[in-house]
Amino acid sequence: MTAAAALTPPAEAPTATTIAVDRVSKWLGPVVALSDVSFSIGPGVTALLGPNGAGKSTLLRILCGLTGASQGTVRVLGVDPRTDLALRGRLGLVAQQETLFEQLRAVDIVALSAGLHGMADSSGAARDALGLVDLDPADVRPVRTYSKGMRQRVKVAAAVVHDPTVVVLDEPLEGLDPRQRLRMIELFVQLGAQGRTVLVSSHVLDEVERFGSQVLVLAKGRLAASGDFRAIRDLMDERPHRLRLRASDARRLAAVLMAGGTVVGTHLESADSVLVDTVLAGAFRRALPRAAAAEGIRLLEVTPLDDDLDSVFRYLVDR
Amino acid sequence: MGLVYRLLLRSLVTRARVIALSAIGLVGILLGLAIRVSDLSAADRSLVITRDLVGGFGLNLVVPVTALVFASAAFGDPTDDRTMVYLWLTPIPRWRLVAAGWVAALSVAGPVAIVPVAAAAAVAGAEGRLVAGTLVGAALATVGYTALFLGLGLLVRRALAWGLAYVLIWELAVARISEGAARLSVSVYSRSVLSEIGQVVKPLNAAAVSTSLIVLAATVAAAMAFTTRTLTRADVA
Repeated sequence: MTAAAALTPPAEAPTATTIAVDRVSKWLGPVVALSDVSFSIGPGVTALLGPNGAGKSTLLRILCGLTGASQGTVRVLGVDPRTDLALRGRLGLVAQQETLFEQLRAVDIVALSAGLHGMADSSGAARDALGLVDLDPADVRPVRTYSKGMRQRVKVAAAVVHDPTVVVLDEPLEGLDPRQRLRMIELFVQLGAQGRTVLVSSHVLDEVERFGSQVLVLAKGRLAASGDFRAIRDLMDERPHRLRLRASDARRLAAVLMAGGTVVGTHLESADSVLVDTVLAGAFRRALPRAAAAEGIRLLEVTPLDDDLDSVFRYLVDR
Repeated sequence: MGLVYRLLLRSLVTRARVIALSAIGLVGILLGLAIRVSDLSAADRSLVITRDLVGGFGLNLVVPVTALVFASAAFGDPTDDRTMVYLWLTPIPRWRLVAAGWVAALSVAGPVAIVPVAAAAAVAGAEGRLVAGTLVGAALATVGYTALFLGLGLLVRRALAWGLAYVLIWELAVARISEGAARLSVSVYSRSVLSEIGQVVKPLNAAAVSTSLIVLAATVAAAMAFTTRTLTRADVA
């Protein structure tokens, strides 16, 4: 059996909505980890995007039944994941923690997962699953000797070895090198294309773009946005951006940009440095080099001041 | 269940645990040797073996501490190292996970606790029936204590400290002076069986063998049900 053929589509035809979250909140002591989150997703890849501490792992744990919601309801494949034992046989989870059964070999860990899910040929299934993530089933080393990337791939193999209908992956690309990332993204897309519901969390915007998927944006425990990735990306481009421009004549450059309508505010810092505010990021990017060239101004440096992910999420939450 | 049993057993048997607890058992055997070479009369020797060596050192210290260490670790270790998620997120009924954990704890606590206590009694010069009584009493105590301490690793972070506090305060102090408390003491029932089989002096607040067996069985059933409920409702990291 080839690695690609090792995973077969789910036996039953998936319903349109496989995960339904309705007004879910979760308090961890005095901390509100999730606040009134509602969404529903179906088969295919959905990315859960948000900065660290946004509540992604808490949400994924609730979806897997590892903890209960303080308020609201969750249904996965139509049942409550906290109480339905049979559902656990149809779920695969790549948990956030690195810990594995350190003294075991990769093939033993994946076979263990297969066995715990009641698979008859757990060794054969383990070999196939390890092939999917480009790991050698014959490797005799215990996983405690593995790199972080290899451990991540063992976790992915253990999560999909029993052909789950719903696959939940918490930051599965952490620790992987670029080639491995691409391979894993291909695998997740393949799983989604086979009719599985694949929910992948990440705090890296560019990573999510590669899934080419539906996106849920979580920030400060709230669902900040949801929908197609391109729509979210456009939304992010429409937010106010602040940039520092260094140029041979910053004052004149600022005046030209203001007159062109792509800038809504300026603040001159020095003769060669000006802060500009724009709400038309795309148009500004096109207009800036043209304006500088037309006026004979030498552009020395362009520095976005609020392009970190946190500020993007802050905008989405506050808008 | 076999897979879960083997997994939990493998994580329970650490070199440090086995060496430390075997060393305590070895101390018992050395104490037995000391009793044997002492110039005590036969009656006094029998009393010292029953009351102090088997009852005091064995059933009140070696057995509960060994049971506590292994039983609380059965689910405490996976909780602490965060591998519990791999067990929890399976379609296996929770009672089967709990049963596998209990049998795993028994498998390792039994030999480490029961054998040294019985060996100490034999080395000290105990009669055959007293050695037999020690074996049965220690086995029953191990069964009871492992069931009792199984859920502790799920409930509290410092299971060893809480378990030791229970043994010292309840089993060794309160249950000895209060007849009511003695009815809720594993130690009293296991020593009652020991005294009956060994034909030696009965402990304070002793119960009949049948009562002891019924209470210990009920204790195991209640503890397993409680641990199953705790595991089902656990927040798994």
